[in-house]
Amino acid sequence: MAGLTFKNVFKQYGRTKAQQVFDADKTVALDADKSVDATVRRVAAQIDNQYAVNDFSLECPDGEFIGILGPSGCGKTTSLRMVAGLEEITRGEILIGGRMVNNLHPKDRDIGLAFEDYALYPPLNVFENIAFNLRAKGLPDEEIRRKVMEIAPLMKVEDLLDAKPAGLSGGQKQRVNIARALVRSPSVLLLDEPLSHLDGKMRQILRTEIKRIHKQINCTTILVTHDQLEAMSLSDRIAIMKDGRLQQFGTPLEVYDNPVNVFVAGFIGEPPMNLFKVGIIGNARERYFHFAERGIKVRVPDKYGKAVFPGDMVVLGVRPTDVLIEPDNPAATDAKVAVFENLGDEKRISIEVGPEDYLTLITDNEKRYKPGVGIKIIFRESKTHIFDKSTGERIQGE
Amino acid sequence: MARITLEHVTKTFGSTTALNDIDLDVHDKEFFVLFGPAGAGKTTMLKTIAGVEFPDRGLVRIDDRIVNLVDPSERNVSMVFENYALYPHMTVFDNIASPMRSPLHRRDEEHITREVARVADLMGIDALLNRLPSQLSNGQRQRTALGRCLVRKPTVFLMDEPLAHLDAKLRHLMRTELKAMQSQFDTTTIYVTHDYMEALSLGDRIAILNNGRFEQIGTGDEIYYTPVSEFVARLVGEPEINIVDAQVTSGSGGKPAIAIASGGERRLFPIPDDVAPTLDGERNVRMGIRGINLSYRFDPADGYMPGTVYNLEPIGNKSILTIKIDDTTYQAVAPNDLDVELDSPVFIRPDPGAMLFFRKSDGVFLARHDQRHFLGENN
Repeated sequence: MAGLTFKNVFKQYGRTKAQQVFDADKTVALDADKSVDATVRRVAAQIDNQYAVNDFSLECPDGEFIGILGPSGCGKTTSLRMVAGLEEITRGEILIGGRMVNNLHPKDRDIGLAFEDYALYPPLNVFENIAFNLRAKGLPDEEIRRKVMEIAPLMKVEDLLDAKPAGLSGGQKQRVNIARALVRSPSVLLLDEPLSHLDGKMRQILRTEIKRIHKQINCTTILVTHDQLEAMSLSDRIAIMKDGRLQQFGTPLEVYDNPVNVFVAGFIGEPPMNLFKVGIIGNARERYFHFAERGIKVRVPDKYGKAVFPGDMVVLGVRPTDVLIEPDNPAATDAKVAVFENLGDEKRISIEVGPEDYLTLITDNEKRYKPGVGIKIIFRESKTHIFDKSTGERIQGE
Repeated sequence: MARITLEHVTKTFGSTTALNDIDLDVHDKEFFVLFGPAGAGKTTMLKTIAGVEFPDRGLVRIDDRIVNLVDPSERNVSMVFENYALYPHMTVFDNIASPMRSPLHRRDEEHITREVARVADLMGIDALLNRLPSQLSNGQRQRTALGRCLVRKPTVFLMDEPLAHLDAKLRHLMRTELKAMQSQFDTTTIYVTHDYMEALSLGDRIAILNNGRFEQIGTGDEIYYTPVSEFVARLVGEPEINIVDAQVTSGSGGKPAIAIASGGERRLFPIPDDVAPTLDGERNVRMGIRGINLSYRFDPADGYMPGTVYNLEPIGNKSILTIKIDDTTYQAVAPNDLDVELDSPVFIRPDPGAMLFFRKSDGVFLARHDQRHFLGENN
């Protein structure tokens, strides 16, 4: 065994002190007790006089798979980096397993990290890449071999152990990368956009495997992603962030079915939720959403009887699968097909409700519609959402 | 008027054959989609028609004129690329007018004003003529770029992945817009994409390219319901179609049946009567079934194959349920509120009426139930 020493090595990108410490110390690994929650508690990091992460509180129970989802610049990666110790915490606390880690050296935090770019060591073969942190820790060969051979089949890299990174595909590199993070048996696994470099098919395969591995090892896992599909399909619960703030925290179905505001409503789901600013017209008994530019009106569900009144403006939100074609329903609204798309598995119909504005609905019936044809539509009442037109917050019905 | 034909067109780059003896006939005013994976030759074909690339062999005709040696600017072809490439310092008006002010196609200002007004009206951007590109939404930018192509009254409109750089949501909106405008183009259009939804949505006909050759040319229905090969079947639909080995055999009462391996035994499914004659004489075949045609349940039942839940992925309006049987995985489409533990038992049944059959040796399409219905619709 030959040790590795850096002596007076310099490299500067304008990195923070915490990052420099981590860089110099990549060789180090560790463990601690295994019963762990990662709690990010009222954490804020101050970057360029702006809060990149603003009053962020989140409770991730032991063993759960948590997705942190948001557009670029929302603070999701910064949050992850604070957990890892790559960013200083400006204010607030981060706890792992009940232990505050703010001032803990990154190596003492007992975390496994896998980033978007794999950062494998090119001269080392797959086995040595996975074993790297264990060697650095000075574990006996025997144990290293045992641990690597335990993790390699899980990540399906057991046939690649002698290969060099240069000969691997993107998907294989990411497997090795995750294996390297897992071999240390961390109490928290951090995944930063692990799939975004991969092509569609490989992404889907690895997504399935990450989910299954999580089930087998049950390690608290934080996934950072901008891809709502990825967050939905992998996470037990999703934290949605925007402008440094937490918007909503819930199961995939909760954030899909009950978005707390217009942002979440528009961010989750593909094709996106139909969101339109509409007026309310009608009288005390019957109220309608009014698409003034095309004179289309659709009944307001009774549950909003005490929430909106004629003359109000609201943002209406209804998903394409919750707009239904009901030719025989007397309460249905007359509309005209502007665009009909047959996508094989499903059909999409778009109705023009304003210039450049289309209400889209998805149907799986086999009927074909020609542009210009009249149809009768209703909104599924339980899935019709309204939001305040200025704050964007959801308006609750009864 | 513009009919585009390619005859025996071959194009190589070094040792790579980008287009391999291609024959193509695009009808006047047709919206024709070139679809296929990266590197299939789609963009090369588009460039060959535009005159930016020259075929090594073969003829390119626009109407009945051979254009192999005609300069791109003389072909009356207009091309829209993935990025709209508007001039940032020019207003919408000037951007649209720019082709008519180029030295080659210069027109008088009166004509220009009239043409810009016509096109802006068509594209629904007449109120935006004084704006700069930076003051436009993405959709408005795209329509400005399309408008700029239309003022030349091109006989052929070539579009190279115009929506590819947009995120999924915007792409959906833009596709809807493009489709809404389509009937007004009145121009032969060739549209390159690698997105199957764009292909199915927009194309009057779709040509599927693979390694410089056409796998299939047909309508969206033909491609989706009767793909000529496993390759084509896999390209359309999400999740990807399930395709497994199967044997033609006889079932109860000697009726033809399809046998699929499941848990060490073979499960038999009836072969639809109209399919049976085609499969007569075949022994080993490949059976394809799309996720939406694969039913599942969580207690055993007749005609269902036992497996385990390999994965469950909620993706919004539905979930993808992955089922493992022996070493084979199947994907089915489930409702988004389905809740089931990984590795728990599940039982699946492919709907025989929706099965696609392919030849085992080369993956060529053999038959499906009610085939003529899917093809007849367009004849």
